[in-house]
Amino acid sequence: MVDYTAITPEIVLALFALAVPALGMVMRSSKVLAAFSLVGVALTGLSVWMITDGYSGPVAFQDFVVVEEFSLLFMYIFLAVAFYVILASAVYVKDDKHKPEYYSLILMATVGMLFVASASDLFALFVGIELTSMSSYALVAFKKKDVKSAEAATKYLIIGGLSSGFSLFGISLMYGFTGTTSFSGINDYLSTLGAENIEMVWLAMIMIVVGFGFKISMVPFHMWAPDVYEGAPTPITAMLAAGSKKMGFVAMFKFFLIGLIAIKADWQLLMAVMAVVTMTAGNLIALNQTSMKRMLAYSSIAQAGYILMVIPVATDYALAGGLFQILTHAFMKGGAFIIVATLAVAAVGDKISDYKGLAKRTPFLAIAMTLFMLSLAGIPPLAGFASKFFLFSAPIEAMGGGNDWLMWLAVAGILNSALSLFYYVRVIKYMLVEKGETEEKLKLPMSMMAAVAICLVAVIVMGVYPEPFYQACLDAAKSFFTFLA
Amino acid sequence: MDTTSIPINWFLMLSTALFVVGVAGVLIKKNAIIILMSIELMLNAANINLVAFSVYNNDASGQVMALVSIGLAAAEVALGLAILLNLNKLRDTVNVDDLSILRW
Repeated sequence: MVDYTAITPEIVLALFALAVPALGMVMRSSKVLAAFSLVGVALTGLSVWMITDGYSGPVAFQDFVVVEEFSLLFMYIFLAVAFYVILASAVYVKDDKHKPEYYSLILMATVGMLFVASASDLFALFVGIELTSMSSYALVAFKKKDVKSAEAATKYLIIGGLSSGFSLFGISLMYGFTGTTSFSGINDYLSTLGAENIEMVWLAMIMIVVGFGFKISMVPFHMWAPDVYEGAPTPITAMLAAGSKKMGFVAMFKFFLIGLIAIKADWQLLMAVMAVVTMTAGNLIALNQTSMKRMLAYSSIAQAGYILMVIPVATDYALAGGLFQILTHAFMKGGAFIIVATLAVAAVGDKISDYKGLAKRTPFLAIAMTLFMLSLAGIPPLAGFASKFFLFSAPIEAMGGGNDWLMWLAVAGILNSALSLFYYVRVIKYMLVEKGETEEKLKLPMSMMAAVAICLVAVIVMGVYPEPFYQACLDAAKSFFTFLA
Repeated sequence: MDTTSIPINWFLMLSTALFVVGVAGVLIKKNAIIILMSIELMLNAANINLVAFSVYNNDASGQVMALVSIGLAAAEVALGLAILLNLNKLRDTVNVDDLSILRW
C-alpha cells in the first residue's frame, strides 16, 4: 500500500484546479469562482497543517518527495501567496471571458510550487518548476487584447524555454556523472570523489545555475524580469515576484546546500560574487525607473541578491535568515504589487508620477504603500528590518577559519540597502508630500483592500514580533541541514 | 553494457552538437517560431543524454525522465504556439526584434 500522506496537499489543490473550470461551466460570476479557489487553497492549507500537527519526522512519497519542516514552511508561504493573489484577482478579472481558466492556472502554478518545496530529487524538482512556469506563461499572456501582455508572454516563453533547456541538459549531465538525481545521492557521490575528477560536475553545475538563475532573475540572467513584470496582469506579477521566484530559491538551496555541499569550496566565491553583483545591479538600475512596476521588478532583483547571500555562507543561521527574508519579502513585495493592481482598477496609471498626491485620494493605500516601501528598504520596526538584520548578521557569524572575507557580503548588503532607500523614499515623497492634479477620492474594491490588509498585517506583525517567525525559520533550516545526514 | 555497442562519447558529442545548435538558434534567429524549434533541440539534446546515460549506467530511470521531458516539451510547444499565434494576431509579426514596447 502506497502512503500518499506526503503529497496530499498537491492532490487536493490539483483536484480544485481541475474543478474550477467545471464549476465555470455553470457559474460565470468571478466572485463565486474566486471563493471556490480560496476554499481550495484553505483546504490545502489544512492538509499541510495535518502533516505539521504531530510532526514526528520527514514523510516520504516514493523516493522523490520528502516533506520535512523546510518544505512545510515553504508550502505555507506559497499557499499564502496564492490566497492573496486570488483574493486580489476577484475584481481584477471580473469582466474577462476566461475567468475559470485564470483561477485554475493560478492553482496549478501553486501545485508546481508545492512540488518544488517537497522534491528530494533533481528531476522531480525540474518537473515542478516546469508546471509552475508553463502555468505562468499562460497567465502572463492572459490579457489577450493587450499588446504589452502578448509581448511580455513571448519574452517570458523564450527565456523560460532557454532556461529549462539549460537546466535539463545540466540535470542529464549530473545524472550521467553521478548515476543518480536524488540530492542526497549526488552529495554522497561527490563526497567520495577526489578533487581531480570534478570538471564534469562543474559543467553540469554551470548549466543548472544558468537554468535556475533565470528563474530567480540572478544578474546577468535578469533581463526578462522587468519586461514580464510590467506586461503581466498585476496580480500575476505579484505571484511571479512573491511565489514563482521564491520557488527558484528553493531549487537553488536544495541544489547547492544539499546536492553540492561536498564541493562547497569550489563554488563559494562564484556565488558570493553573483550575490553582490545581483544586488548592486538591481539597485542601481532601479534608481532611474519611471514605471512603478519596473521599479519594483528591479527591487525584486536586488532582493534576490540579498537572498543569494545564503548560498556562499551556507550555515543554518544564514539559511534561517534567508528563509525569513523570503517570508517577509513575499508579503511586502506582493502587497506593493497588489496596491499597484488596486490602483489600476481605479484607473490610476503605473508611472511613479501618477502617484502624486495619493494620500489625499486614498489614505489607506498611501499609508500601506509607505509601510511596504519602508519595510523593503529595511526600516525598523517593520518586517524588512528584522529579516535583513538576521540575514546580514549571518555572514558575520560565519567568519573565522579562513572565511573572514564573508564579512564583505554583509557590508555589500548594508551599503545596498542604503542605496535602495533613495528610490523607495521617492515613491513616499510623491504620495505624501507632492500635490496631485486631482483630490477626488478613489472608489476601490473591498476584496483587493482585504488582500492589501493581509499583507500589511503580516509585515507589521513580523516586524514587531519577529521571534516566533524567526524560530520557525531556524527550525526549518536546522531540519534542512540534518536532512543531509 | 556489452562491449559491442557504441561508446558513450559518441552520444555525448551528438548531444553537445545538438545543444550548441539549439543555443545558437535561440541567440541568433529573429523568428520566434524558429527560436521555439531551437529550444526543442536543446531539450532533445538532453533527452539523448538521458537515454544514453541510462543504458550506460544500467539504470532505467533515465529513460523514464526522457519520456517525461518529451511530454513537457510537447506541452511547452503547444503553449508557445498559442502565445505566438496571439502575438501574430495583435501585432502581425513574430519577429522578436519588433518586440520593443517594453524596455527600460
